Amino acid sequence: MSKYGLTQTVLREEKYLVEALKEMGYEIEVHPEGTQLNSYYSEQEGKLANIVIRRQHLRGAYGDIGFARQPDGQFTLIADELDQYHGYGTKWLGRVQQLYKEKQTLAIARARGYILKGREVINTSEGQQVRLQFAVRR
Amino acid sequence: MQEKIITIIIDAQGKSTLDLEGFAGQSCEKVFDDFRGGDSLKVDRKKTSYYTGQQVQQEKSQH
Repeated sequence: MSKYGLTQTVLREEKYLVEALKEMGYEIEVHPEGTQLNSYYSEQEGKLANIVIRRQHLRGAYGDIGFARQPDGQFTLIADELDQYHGYGTKWLGRVQQLYKEKQTLAIARARGYILKGREVINTSEGQQVRLQFAVRR
Repeated sequence: MQEKIITIIIDAQGKSTLDLEGFAGQSCEKVFDDFRGGDSLKVDRKKTSYYTGQQVQQEKSQH
């Protein structure tokens, strides 16, 4: 092995984020200029997001969920605090990041000409892992 | 010549491990940066073969 690295996925590219959310079965709205999120708490009204899932598409959610682009280019999750404890918290975001990273990785590999040798889903005590292996074209 | 293999494991928390085999020096860094894709780096560890391969490349270029 030549090098080993551990990274945390950062959501930056809209297309992979949209693809990830669609794969999770959500209907997505994309608003380049931002749109208001509907919330259970009135004090949270007025928050803007660029990628939005309306609450009618979110089973059991109190409010819309959105991703807002920050000045540094990253997307951050905006959700009602109540929803963080009703299935749309850290675990849910982890799944979004996992799908995002897989889509991004496959796209990078295609663009650079790496050959996909295998894709495997591994069940662990901390959830499913996706293992991708690529070879370099000679 | 050792085959160059890239293995990426993406966990359910959105963390990824990136293992590069058969790479050395600059080519290793380039591939690593390609796949990192702007993610924040938590661990960055070079293996012995990273340096060994680099040495071999340098020796070859001197001949």
